[in-house]
Amino acid sequence: MIYCLYSIVALICVYTARHYWFTLNRLFGFQRHPYIDIDTANWPPVTILVAAHNEEKVIANILSALMTVRYPAERMIVVPVNDRSKDRTREIIDDFVERFPGRIKPFHRTEGKGGKAAALKDAMELVETEIILIFDADYIPGVGLIRQLTAPFFDPEVGGVMGRVVPLNSGHNLLTRLLDLERSGGYQVDQQARMNLRLVPQHGGTVAGVRRSALREIGGWNDASLTEDTDLTYRLLLYGWKTVYQNRSECYEEVPETWPVRIKQIMRWAKGHNQAMVTYALHLLLGKHRATLRERLDGTLLLGVYIMAPVTLVGWMLALAVFYRGIAPLHGIIALLSLTAYAAIGNLAAFFEIAAAVRLDGNRNRIALLPFLILGFTVSIFSVSRAAISQTIDAITGAEFHWDKTERFRKAES
Amino acid sequence: MSALLAASALFLAFFLLLALPLTPACLELFYKTDDAPLKVVQQHAGDVRFFADGFRHYLAQIQPNLDECELYGSDALIVMPDSIPCLVLAQKGSPHDFAIDGDKNCSKVIASIEDLELPAETTFEKDIYARRRLQGGTGNQYRAILGERDVQLAESSVVMRWVHAVGDIDCAPNCRLYGRISSERSIRLQAGCVFTRLNAPRIELGNLLPDSAPAVGDTAGGNATSSVMERVLHDGDLQIEPGEVFAKHLVVRGTLRIGEGARMLGNVKAQKAIVLDRGVFAYGSLISAATLSIGPHCRVQGPLIAEHTIMIDSSAMVGDAEVPTTVSAPRIEVAEGAVVFGTLWAREQGQVVARV
Repeated sequence: MIYCLYSIVALICVYTARHYWFTLNRLFGFQRHPYIDIDTANWPPVTILVAAHNEEKVIANILSALMTVRYPAERMIVVPVNDRSKDRTREIIDDFVERFPGRIKPFHRTEGKGGKAAALKDAMELVETEIILIFDADYIPGVGLIRQLTAPFFDPEVGGVMGRVVPLNSGHNLLTRLLDLERSGGYQVDQQARMNLRLVPQHGGTVAGVRRSALREIGGWNDASLTEDTDLTYRLLLYGWKTVYQNRSECYEEVPETWPVRIKQIMRWAKGHNQAMVTYALHLLLGKHRATLRERLDGTLLLGVYIMAPVTLVGWMLALAVFYRGIAPLHGIIALLSLTAYAAIGNLAAFFEIAAAVRLDGNRNRIALLPFLILGFTVSIFSVSRAAISQTIDAITGAEFHWDKTERFRKAES
Repeated sequence: MSALLAASALFLAFFLLLALPLTPACLELFYKTDDAPLKVVQQHAGDVRFFADGFRHYLAQIQPNLDECELYGSDALIVMPDSIPCLVLAQKGSPHDFAIDGDKNCSKVIASIEDLELPAETTFEKDIYARRRLQGGTGNQYRAILGERDVQLAESSVVMRWVHAVGDIDCAPNCRLYGRISSERSIRLQAGCVFTRLNAPRIELGNLLPDSAPAVGDTAGGNATSSVMERVLHDGDLQIEPGEVFAKHLVVRGTLRIGEGARMLGNVKAQKAIVLDRGVFAYGSLISAATLSIGPHCRVQGPLIAEHTIMIDSSAMVGDAEVPTTVSAPRIEVAEGAVVFGTLWAREQGQVVARV
């Protein structure tokens, strides 16, 4: 039992050190933005896929925004992927098709497998360009964003591109404010540090791009995956393609405004991530492929981030059991156990990472909310653990994954 | 002390300690002093005319005064709505009074209707607008210049923020251009000039050498954005033989040397240095995680990106008039005689040198 606890402590220490490394790199290291200065070029044709499932509240905003972006109109085609919507999504899309002839090619899907990956997979029949950009329907791209996301594809090593997601409804309530802080830490520090250190920036599946030839080489969209973005990141990596993160390619999104919606969202992410971990971790770490040693290590650790929640819970239980059974930890190990208590929060919460991110973003007073993150992380740790348990049960019983769409809160445009 | 009192004090202390870090959090949650979404400039598109348009908009506030000065051919001192004095110059043929103080500083916005010739060794602390040709003096320091026609900066001029010209921009030797320099026609920089960002349909570095016109090749074979073109991954260093035609996208996990006269039809990336020997044609992009060296008489369609340094030798041509492109790296050295169509962006410093 004690050795099991030591292993968990060691794992948590690894993740804690990783957070410190990322934060210090972001604060003091060399910042890589190699493609952001490309503002003049022979821009390639792009297809922009907009994933939409019952998006009547938000679809008009993104289509309007895309019609005003600064990109040669004759080289950009927008494909709204209307996935079996039962609301006014189809009607709104068709109205835009009429208003902007030749610029929008709708893909109305009325049947087939559920989930974003399955819808994108079917929509590929309309894609004729080498560069594909992907947005969820609740995003609002700025006028320069399409160029910024396309620019990295001039690099033939780049298979995927990821931009930065910024919550638009950050000030709505405590939850949105906490999610705003989390997003800040995740993108401003975590993703950019991985870009700086040539590790594995993660494809987020929205405000993102993928090269069609790379997608074809890795076997297309995996519609069996709950998080097609994580799945894509790892398959690209294993086939020698890089995913790059563009911290200055920012785009507004809407974050969940209620706890049940947030819990559903994070449970889906956890299940998808764990699914990718089971599929790719061993092969990534030890298999024969083109990833570098640092990509293998970081990629494996990244795959483990969601499983660390139940592992930490087990660690807490073991620590209690060890205490009540009167087992005296070896000399010095007590210090590590103390660290566990800290890192159980530090690992998941990464308070220092978030504090650094908020500072880098130039915000000041919102940093005062940091202690409330304990609330968000407590909810996360139990939700993610619940997801892991339910996923294990599903695997044993052979139950199929169910894809839950995140509910929208924006008021529909009149 | 009774046990009850002690227990109460303990609980009170516990809750106080618990509440302490949450107090500023609760105050922020209640008063919402910093709850706006992170500012994303939705309209930012990197337009080079951004500053120029802003300055035109600023001057539009005194348009009637400008029209009046133009009509009567007279100079005037006007106070802008933000209380900054603006010198309107419309008098023809006589030297202007720039109200230069003892430290050789001019602290007024200048709006010139006619050709403008500026005195030497002067610091212009505010922006300058020239409706016609602007001729700077030697050793001047400028904050910003907008020229509706040509702008000529004399030797050893310094620009702190930006210059935009609708016509040509000509910079004499040893100018230091710290901001964004853009023209809607062309920019010419002489040797010794230092720059950070240049943008124009045509950028000439130094005087074009007699043999500077790069040999124009058949570009029909190049189609760097083609998805049909296969990608080759190569571990370690690689040498492309002189004269070889390489019709694939190429990723090299080491150093890449491209021999004289070779043709690269696809996009090229190297994890270490890329060296182009004389007369290489690259129809796609060249991306290096280290340094990028473009030999003489090379022709590259671009973009050119390096994470450390880009060196472009004389008589090399990057982009072309129909397809302008971007050259970007922390440090850029360009030899006299090279031509770039589009953007030259040195994050730290760019310099025009006699030879790289």
